[in-house]
Amino acid sequence: MIIAILRILARRLLAIIPVFVVVTILVFGALRILPVDPAQMSLPPSATIEQVEAKREAMGLNRPIWEQYTIWAKGAVAGDLGESSQYRMSTAAVVLDRLPATIELVICALVFAVGVGVGGGLLVFSARDTVLETVGLVVISAVMALPDFLLALLFILVLGVLMPIFPVNGRLEPGMQVPTQTGFLLIDALLTGDFRAFFSALHYIALPVMALGLAFSPTIMRVLHASLVNTYQQSYILQARLRGLSGREILFGQALKNAMLPVVILVGTQFGGLFGGTLLVEMIFSFPGLGNLMVKAMQTSDLSVIMAISLIYCATTLLFNSLADALAYLLNPRLRNG
Amino acid sequence: MMRKKFRLPDLGLVIGGSLVGLVLICGVFAPWIAPYHPNDQELLYILAPPVWADGGSAAHLFGTDSLGRDTLSRMIYGARTAMTVAAVASLGAMLLGAFFAHLAGYFGGWVDWIISRTVEVWLSFPPVVLSMLLITGLGIGIDKVILAIVLVDWTRFCRVLRSEVQVARGQDYVAFARLIGFSHLRVIMKEILPATLPMLITLLSLQMGISVVVEAILSFVAMGVPSDVPAWGQMIADARIDMYGAPWGLALPIAAIFVTVLSFNLFGDGLRRTLDPRHAANRGT
Repeated sequence: MIIAILRILARRLLAIIPVFVVVTILVFGALRILPVDPAQMSLPPSATIEQVEAKREAMGLNRPIWEQYTIWAKGAVAGDLGESSQYRMSTAAVVLDRLPATIELVICALVFAVGVGVGGGLLVFSARDTVLETVGLVVISAVMALPDFLLALLFILVLGVLMPIFPVNGRLEPGMQVPTQTGFLLIDALLTGDFRAFFSALHYIALPVMALGLAFSPTIMRVLHASLVNTYQQSYILQARLRGLSGREILFGQALKNAMLPVVILVGTQFGGLFGGTLLVEMIFSFPGLGNLMVKAMQTSDLSVIMAISLIYCATTLLFNSLADALAYLLNPRLRNG
Repeated sequence: MMRKKFRLPDLGLVIGGSLVGLVLICGVFAPWIAPYHPNDQELLYILAPPVWADGGSAAHLFGTDSLGRDTLSRMIYGARTAMTVAAVASLGAMLLGAFFAHLAGYFGGWVDWIISRTVEVWLSFPPVVLSMLLITGLGIGIDKVILAIVLVDWTRFCRVLRSEVQVARGQDYVAFARLIGFSHLRVIMKEILPATLPMLITLLSLQMGISVVVEAILSFVAMGVPSDVPAWGQMIADARIDMYGAPWGLALPIAAIFVTVLSFNLFGDGLRRTLDPRHAANRGT
């Protein structure tokens, strides 16, 4: 059983490798077309023309683009992503330093979104055939018109400015420090047993998580609601009712398992949107993660950082798509014949 | 005897449609509706509150921003930017996406393989990241924003329409059209396109809402329109700095984006309900 699951997973993960390679080629090519000279960018402004020329030669910029790509790819496989021109240090180090913050944010947001989405979907469904269902659906479509960056700004306005309940900047109270072990602030704080720092970190991450999660949840509610409505038209639900199962037993014991399938697929395919959303939300909350770094890199044309972060975004999106695909396959026996 | 029963038009369609119409009118007739020029500065009268707040005056109904520019006028001109981008970019994305969707769905085989793999590569980018990457390369400007949206969002149309085309392709009337010797082009235009048109129009309306958001995002991070063109995203970015003293400056453009996107979504959903024959048939009985 476990071997079968692993095989299903492995097959899907292998399938994303060629797509990812094509993505690296595209991003690399696109960034080389930009009117920016990476050699000049990586040297101090006082560098002489000869120095820039020597650097160009050293970086291989005078060779054809496919050779440049091979140089980059060889380095990337070995973990060398080049040097960040704005920080004058290894891109891999700069990016890895920010990665945990973004992962923490996106995982919390995903949990929040699925929790609120599934809860809300069940709530609206359990009010079916009443006015409340209509009200719920109207509210859902209203929230759907609020993308994550607008929600973030609204939260800042309402919960940060008008009623200052939550802080709106950074990851932790100024002056507070947590020794870095994993880079995940919430986990680090727990590991050191510093509960004050843990709650402070929780307090600081609350608004970004709510903005990201709440922007994603109405789609989940809608899909779950529609899927439950469909499931309840099937004969096995009627049969369960005839067997005398209670409404609660039917919903949680029989219907929900099947109705969750579209939600799993939705979360997998839309994960890219949630992850991309961190870019703006981090910027708005000055949250020191990848998104903030990316915006800064774009403003200063820090090519190697842009490249590295784009690839992280793409790899994660691909990974989640294929994980959701594998999960849907495992949850639905009917897909297994194909 | 009247055979056809009168049916009330879809509520979402009516509300969404009239709100879209309202924003569109604001955009088209901006110079006549707006009380001031959007870039006129009144430096003695900065960060004025809107008329319903304390200290507001009827001279500036929605107040002024940090440079003394009239918020209402900037919102009306912002509608012009938003609607231009929404209309042109969505139409472009639709044309590009529909073109490839019909190619892939109709011909199948290696054409379908190539187009589907391309879409797969495209979808591995989070849309926001891809559009910002494109703008980094293209530079700023309304035309660049439109181009970026077209290049990012054609996949939305392509993915959904491709399966619609495949369904239509399997119908007997399409096979019959081929048998009596219609050319591929004629079959696609005359037989398949009409079958996919309802979905195409629905997607177009939803895409317009998405385009409004993308334009706002890009303007918000100063990667959208140039600074002398009023845009909602830019107003939000400007007002953020003064949000403690002048919260309305931030709230109003957010509300403008919200209402516009909501009305496009309502309109699109209404269109889907009205145009989808299966759905309409269910409702009729």
